[in-house]
Amino acid sequence: MSSHPDAPAVPAGTDVAAVRLEEVEHVYGGAGGPVAALGPISLTVPRGTFLVLVGASGCGKSTLLRLVAGFEKPTSGTVRTGGTEPVPGRGAGIVFQQPRLFPWKTVGGNVELALRYAGVPRAERARRVPDLLERVGLHDVADRRIWQISGGQQQRVAIARALAGDDPLLLLDEPFAALDALTRERLQEDLRRVSAQTGRTSVFVTHSVEEAVFLGSRVVVLTRRPGRIALDLDVGLPRTGVEPHELRALPEYAALRAEIGRAVRAAAA
Amino acid sequence: MTSSPSRPAAARPPDAVPAVPSPAAGPRPGSPPARRGRGARRAGVRVLSLLALLALWQLAAVAAGNPSFVPAPRAVWDQLVLLSTTHDGVRGYGGHLLVEHLAISLRRILIGSALGVAAGLVLGVVLGTVPWIRLVAEPVVTFVRALPPLAYFSLLIIWFGIDETPKLWLLAIAALPPVAVATAAAVHGAPTGLVEAARALGASRWDAVKDVVLPAALPEIFTGVRLAVGVAYSSVVAAETVNGVPGIGGMVRDAQRYLQTDVVVLGLLAIGLSGLLIDGLLRFAETRLIPWRGRV
Ligand SMILES: Nc1ncnc2c1ncn2[C@@H]1O[C@H](COP(=O)(O)OP(=O)(O)OP(=O)(O)O)[C@@H](O)[C@H]1O
Ligand SMILES: [Mg+2]
Repeated sequence: MSSHPDAPAVPAGTDVAAVRLEEVEHVYGGAGGPVAALGPISLTVPRGTFLVLVGASGCGKSTLLRLVAGFEKPTSGTVRTGGTEPVPGRGAGIVFQQPRLFPWKTVGGNVELALRYAGVPRAERARRVPDLLERVGLHDVADRRIWQISGGQQQRVAIARALAGDDPLLLLDEPFAALDALTRERLQEDLRRVSAQTGRTSVFVTHSVEEAVFLGSRVVVLTRRPGRIALDLDVGLPRTGVEPHELRALPEYAALRAEIGRAVRAAAA
Repeated sequence: MTSSPSRPAAARPPDAVPAVPSPAAGPRPGSPPARRGRGARRAGVRVLSLLALLALWQLAAVAAGNPSFVPAPRAVWDQLVLLSTTHDGVRGYGGHLLVEHLAISLRRILIGSALGVAAGLVLGVVLGTVPWIRLVAEPVVTFVRALPPLAYFSLLIIWFGIDETPKLWLLAIAALPPVAVATAAAVHGAPTGLVEAARALGASRWDAVKDVVLPAALPEIFTGVRLAVGVAYSSVVAAETVNGVPGIGGMVRDAQRYLQTDVVVLGLLAIGLSGLLIDGLLRFAETRLIPWRGRV
């Protein structure tokens, strides 16, 4: 943290950014030769930010999330979450691009397992499973097998599972891509409200400009592979006290959508 | 099985999310009537082929013209009756009824393959997770797998005598490799996506093995268990070559010595048919215990 000479050396200070990438580059090795997937990219995400990443398919969005989750080590540069090197399962809830549910558990069993890993005692788990499922709009399916619910429902279970840990950081990789428009809007509104209330930091990946403007307190548009920052925009829209339909009707909303849309098209060209 | 057209709709509680395929219908394809039709046809084919086999057998017996060489079906049937009853003061064969011979062999198979399966499971998990042990131990497992059980039985008899112990050892050693190999392969090829998901939720390494790797491996492990039981089955005759009576293998061996070919054939039929039955039970248990087979 050379930019703050007077900051304490202890990384656990309260003003440490939730996520910090410094000159991060990621190159995948493999049979087909190296693939430069991301960067170089530098990005500081303060606590409480709802960051939305937008970019064309294959530009390195999932790679960025995997780096922040600690599943990949950057080829060069540093990744920090809460001031320390990220470790999977510590301090970040993740919704992967695929639901990745455990087929040997029921729907409720999947959420229950997440609570167990989060250290929630058994008696409380039984109480919180229905709560969590309710939050993603799923009731009555707790006893079903994973393959007995639809793809969109599976993704919602994955979201409930990621929320179980109450982590300060939430990483979401296109979580709403498989949902119908109505459910998607409902979950978007829910996520927006909850994130504003809890003040937790989120990094949310999407293809949808509309979704980015609605959800993000900040939107970053990535260039094509290897992804770099094409646009980094603070969304000045109010986070609380506005009804979703009022929000969507604001002139600033339309302006932001147009600006981000232009950037996405330019970055993809 | 009763069938009434209104059954499915009436038995199921009203569905909250109608877009979803019905949970009660389960993963099996095909509607019940279609399945029953197919089942009946398959049973018919099986009965027919069985009858054809019997006819061929009868033909062969007649052609051979020597009951010590090829006994007729009828002679084997008579032996079945004789060996299942007490006649002229003799109980079954060598003082034990056929079912008793079979039961004792089954008990040996059960205990032996249970030991082998347990050891194979542990070994397989270790082989699948620790690369350097895999490097060292895998050739050993393959080596043992290549040995015919009779070859190491002599050694087991020198070590453990001629009672139950060497028999159980033989069956356990025969049953171990299929389970170990299947488990190692399945554990090694654990679905990374699911393991990552567990780790992202805060699972420890052991949690991930216990809650993800093993359940994901279970279908393949179960196939290994079925193979293991099959191998134990085919080894039981070898295990009962020494001091094997009572026991179906010992019975077959004694009968061979006295050229009672009909008893030999009866013993083989008993082993084969009980093997089919056990495999059927295992397959039934599999669909019950591992409903997620093919869904990982
Ligand atoms: N394990 C891997 N090995 C080699 N190349 C990879 C690997 N994973 C991803 N890539 C490549 O890296 C690039 C970035 O992939 P990434 O999954 O991050 O894209 P993305 O932006 O999430 O795309 P999408 O929107 O389609 O999900 C892609 O070109 C991809 O082909
Ligand atoms: Mg992706």
